[in-house]
Formats: sequence, structure tokens, C-alpha cells
Amino acid sequence: MSTGQQGTMRGKDDFMRNISSRLGRREPLAEAPSRPFIGVPDFYRDRTRTQDELIDEFIQSWTALSGKTLVIDEAEAPQAVEAYIRQLAGDLGIKRISRWDHEGLEKLGFDQSLNEAGIEVVTWREGGADHIELEGLPTGQDGNWAKRSHLLHAAEQCRLGVVWPDCAIANTSTLALFSQGGKGRSVSLLTEAIVAVFRADQIVYRMGEAFALFKKQYPNVAEMPSSLNLITGPSRSADIENDLTIGIHGPGKVHAIILK
Amino acid sequence: MSAGGQAASLDEKIGSGLKERTKQALGDEFLRKAVAYTTDKLKTGRLQAMDMFGDWEAWRDRGKAIREHTINHLDYYLSQFADNVTKKGGNVYFCSGASDAVSTFMEIADKNKAKLVAKGKSMVSEEIHLNHHLEERNIEAIETDLGEYILQLAKETPSHLIIPAIHKNKQQIATLFTEASGQHFEPETKVLAEYARKKLRNYFLESDIGLTGCNFGVAETGSITLVENEGNGRMVSTLPKVHVVVMGMERLVPTMEDLEVVLNMLARSATGQKLTTYTSLVTGPKRPEDLDGPEELHVIILDNGRSQQLGDPIFQEVLHCIRCAACLNVCPVYRHVGGHTYGTTYSGPIGAVLTPLIQQDMKEAGTLSYASSLCGACYEACPMKIPLHDMLVHLRHRKVKMKLTALPERVAFKSYQTVFGNITLFKLATKMGYYMQKPLVRGGMIKSGPPPLSGWTQSRFLPMLPKKSFRDRWGDLQKELAAKNTSGTKAKGGSAK
Repeated sequence: MSTGQQGTMRGKDDFMRNISSRLGRREPLAEAPSRPFIGVPDFYRDRTRTQDELIDEFIQSWTALSGKTLVIDEAEAPQAVEAYIRQLAGDLGIKRISRWDHEGLEKLGFDQSLNEAGIEVVTWREGGADHIELEGLPTGQDGNWAKRSHLLHAAEQCRLGVVWPDCAIANTSTLALFSQGGKGRSVSLLTEAIVAVFRADQIVYRMGEAFALFKKQYPNVAEMPSSLNLITGPSRSADIENDLTIGIHGPGKVHAIILK
Repeated sequence: MSAGGQAASLDEKIGSGLKERTKQALGDEFLRKAVAYTTDKLKTGRLQAMDMFGDWEAWRDRGKAIREHTINHLDYYLSQFADNVTKKGGNVYFCSGASDAVSTFMEIADKNKAKLVAKGKSMVSEEIHLNHHLEERNIEAIETDLGEYILQLAKETPSHLIIPAIHKNKQQIATLFTEASGQHFEPETKVLAEYARKKLRNYFLESDIGLTGCNFGVAETGSITLVENEGNGRMVSTLPKVHVVVMGMERLVPTMEDLEVVLNMLARSATGQKLTTYTSLVTGPKRPEDLDGPEELHVIILDNGRSQQLGDPIFQEVLHCIRCAACLNVCPVYRHVGGHTYGTTYSGPIGAVLTPLIQQDMKEAGTLSYASSLCGACYEACPMKIPLHDMLVHLRHRKVKMKLTALPERVAFKSYQTVFGNITLFKLATKMGYYMQKPLVRGGMIKSGPPPLSGWTQSRFLPMLPKKSFRDRWGDLQKELAAKNTSGTKAKGGSAK
């Protein structure tokens, strides 16, 4: 699968020649330099954790960032996840949510029962918001935003997003989202709250393992998703007198449901 | 609206206006408290985060080694990075100077008939004064980082690399928001933040171009790494149809494995977080199957004086900097005067080193090397182990060599050299000093004196010169010391038995 067009390049040759001559080379270096070391120090790389330890470490760090967690048995997941989302939407007065077009979430199959509870679901795929009627756009009917897709318009008005991360990092309590296709970036960005559902065996210890998974899944640069999002807690800012403000641009409420 | 515009006018007086700006900062009670509080908080956070991470020195060594390897082979990695960006459909522009970068940006803006640019935090865009140039072209540029947005409304420049608006209080922010919107705002963080969220959301949606910096480019994948806490960086790199990146040419790591090291170290050093809330790797524009993301990606890679440092045995390491601002938070000078005093885009110890080097201006910007106590706290805090304190001394040396210091200073040091290089003159001078000081001494102290002595006595007392100089006393002291040593050895030897 190709990504389409090659981009353009301008001014590279002179720029490179200048750099290499400054570094004392006649020509820009064409061969990969040898690496006596790559990445993190060994003591950190070699750490191992049991699955329970990974879950604990994730939860501890996630909770410290004001994140909420629910650990449930995988067999109970369909009911439990639906109930959790319904409860959360109820608490926040949310009538419309967005979700990834993801196999795991499809299997949980919460759309219909949420619909019955009066909660509309926008699914991140072509036509995934066709059933949604919007009351208007925040920017009005003229301008750039008005020209964008109905799916984007609808997703922007969802206040809760549901995603299934590609993995989670215990050490920093981070969700790793390889965003592309049905795994839209907007679902984890434009809402006030997110719910991330994943299996316990998707938790790795450190960031490097998440990157390794990413590289394994996409060995060719040309096929890499255009966005890899690491999300560590709620959107925050300390720009007003060092007062911690939660939820400044991105979601301020973050929930993790771990299936065991 | 011109954070950049103001910086442009300041640039000319970096050195000559330094004293005046220092005075102003020292007289600003709120600023001093805010800077002290913020830097303390960040510093404490950093120390805790370092502790929790374990063996910080091993991390520092590894971080430094990675940066050193990258910069030593920058031609290879930069070329690999650029090739991968274009392979993914992004466009790359190499720009040797600020004006080159600005005109490249304008070209992209014109092609897209851009009227509105939403900006994520980007120090490089401030370095090239992009806002100022956009304003001239009637293109509206909106800063979307909350702190930068506040400063844009106030028409001021950042006072800290990480928390740019530390010098503004809630009341001032409420007034700024009230003036900008016509609504009335109470000085409450929650209310103000809620307004900013709504207001800036519309800019994200409407902008023609989203502009960001780049914390790290990854050579092996051509990814742009953006690090932030608010989510504005994700917004501007997701919603507008065009994403433009401006980055310094040195901001690279070879692989994603190396990225893990610098990301962990950046967050801990900057804010004491384990990791910033959002770390996003942008690899090319949106793919055909994507339903969001920008259609175009443009990467402007800037030299602007950086390549001058390559191959320099003393200053090349300044290119290792990852812009965490840990050196600001520990610097005794920065902690008293804040960022505005430096009069530059980059403040604190790193600013004092970087600015004269990249602007190649020793006369004005070189003066910043004196805004330091040379205590070395910056080096100790630096996650990449950059010897900033040594560099500051070398910059002073360079300034002296270029005869850029003031004439009286040069004369003074010339005389100092003559006197201290000749024992007879030296003895005479210390004797004369003792007698000449007499009219000024009160109770063993000089409490006020004529210039240049007043430079000292304005803020503290100077102890008087004693009648018998240390040199004169040396003979007696030596005897005393010898006597003590022999008795000391005896006593020790005795107790050991």
C-alpha cells in the first residue's frame, strides 16, 4: 500500500555541504555511522515486570494524574463497558459520543444500548455520522470549518470519545494510539472526556516497547500512520499563575478500562 | 499582536539595555515573587522526578552521548530525516537564515491564500520573528498555547521558556480577556481557562494553517515529535488543512529508541512530569484512508547561525540543548531578574550562550555572558551535560579579545595586569590603597564610595584593606602553620598507638 505522492525538497545539497565541511568532511556522510549504543541505559532496558505489576504501576501513575481506572474480567466486558460509558455520560450530561471504528469496540457492541439510553454514537468511518443532525456549527455557516466533512463536524460536538489504544505504557501511564483510518485522531482530542479500553496483556513497561511494537507493525516508513499519539493523563496547563488547569484544549477527564 | 515585533526592537539593545532592564525587573515585586515561586516549583519537581527515575547520572551520560553522536554525524541524520519526510509526502525546505525561513513560510501561506494561522508553541518562530512578518502581510497569527496567548494579548514576550507568562497575574489576565472580548471576567483561573478553551477552539477550526515547532525529528522515520501538555499542538497539527513545522536543524535523534531517552529526560527536566500529557509523532500528512489530519505537511529546517558552531571545540555542544529550561530554574541570576531582562528569545544561561553565537553578535548579545555568576548550577542541572558555565567564560574571553569591552574596563584591566605582574608595584599599590581608603572608612567598613567603587557600595559594604597585607603577614603565618602541623602529627601518631 502506498501513501501517494513523494514530497518536494529544496536547498538540501548546499545545506548538507556546509554542514559536512564544518564537521571536517569533504562530502556529506553517506553511510550510516556505527552505533556503540542505542536507546536507554541497560539497567532500565532490562527491567521486567509481571502483568499484575504492570497493571498496578499503570493505575498508580494514571490515578496520580487524576485519571480513573476500572479493571474488569474480559467476560463481563460488554455489559460493564456499556454501563460505565452510560453512567459517565449521565454524570456529565452527555448525549453524544464518538468512538473509533475498532474491532475490539465493535465486539463490545455498546452502540445500540447507548442509543436506547438516548446517547448518540458517532463512529469514526465514512458515513459514521450520517444519522446525526447538528444544530449548527460553533463557527457559523461561513468559513473554513463549515466546508469540512459532516463526520468532523459531528465529532467536534461529541463530548466523550472512546478509543482502543494499541498499547499502554505502565511506567508513565501512557496510552499509545497509532492513529490512522478508523482510528481517528479527533476522537481522542476534541472531546471533554475519553474512555480508553484495552486488554491487560497490551500493557508494556516502557515507551521503547511501544515504539518497538509500532516499528514491528509498520516496518516501512511509507506505511507508518501519520500520527502516533502518546497520551499521559488529562490536558493541563499551569500558565495562569501556576494554577493547575485541567482540560484546557484536549480532554480533561481520562478513563482507562482494563480487561483482564 | 506582535510578540515577535517587540523582540525585534529589543534585539538591538540586548547588551546596552541590559542594566536598565535589570533595574526594572528588580523593582517589580510581583515579577520577582512569581519567578522565584515558579522556578522553585519546577526545580523541586525536576529533582523528585530524577530521583524516581533512578541513576540520573547514567541517563545524563546516555543523553549526552546520543546528542553528541547525532551532532557529530548531523549531515547523515539530517539527510536521512529529510528523505523520510519527503518519502511520506511531506515537503522539506532548508533555510540558511531567518529571512529565508520567513519568505518560505510566506510562499506556503500565499499558495494557500492563508489569512489565519494557528500557532503551537514554537521558539524558532519567535527566533525568526515570524509574527511580526505575518502582521506586516496582514495575516493573522494566533498563539494557542495558553501562556503565549495571554502574552499575545498583552503584546509582550515570554519570560520563561516553559511557562511563558509567569509574570502575569490573574487580575491582569482577566483584564486582558475583558478587553479582548468585551465580556467581563472575574480573576478566576477556571473561568479564564474556560474562555480561552472556547475562544481558541474556533481558531483551531477556522485556521488555514497550523504552525508548530519540533521538539525532536526522528531520522529513521522522518517523524516530527511534538511535546506539550495542553493539546493545542495536537489541534494545530490535526485540524487545519496545512501543517507547517519550523525547526532548528539540530533537533534530531537517530532512532525511536533514542527518542525514548530524550523524551523521558525532557519532561522530567522541564516540569518534573514523567512524561508530558501529549507526545505526538507526526509522520507525513494524512494518508488516503485517514478522515482527519492535514492534507499538506511542510517542514522548514533552519540553520540561522547554528552550523557556525559545528566543528567548534568549545561551542559545538550548545547544539545538544533540548530546550528544557532546567538551567533557567537553577540560575541565581535568572531567578532574580526573569526572562525579559535578557531581551532575547532565549533567556537564562542557555540564552546567554546561544544568542551571541547564533546571532554572531558579540558586541550586544555577547554582553549577556556577564549576566551570570559562573557558579556552574546550569551545568549541574543540564540533562545533556552542556558545560554552559565554561562557555560563558569563553564568551567573555572572546569579547575581550575582540576589544568589545568598555574603554575604562580595558584600561583598568591593563593597569591591573601591570601592577599584579610586578612585585614592587604591587607592594606599593597595597600600601597606597591602605592610606587612600582612609577618608572613606567608617568603623572598619567602606559604606559608600565614588565610582567605580560605588557599584559595590550601593548595595553592600566593603571591608577596609588591613594595614598589614596578607603578603606581609605570610612569613609569620608560615611559622605558625609549621608549628601547628608538627604538634598535630604528634597528637595523631599518639592516638593511633
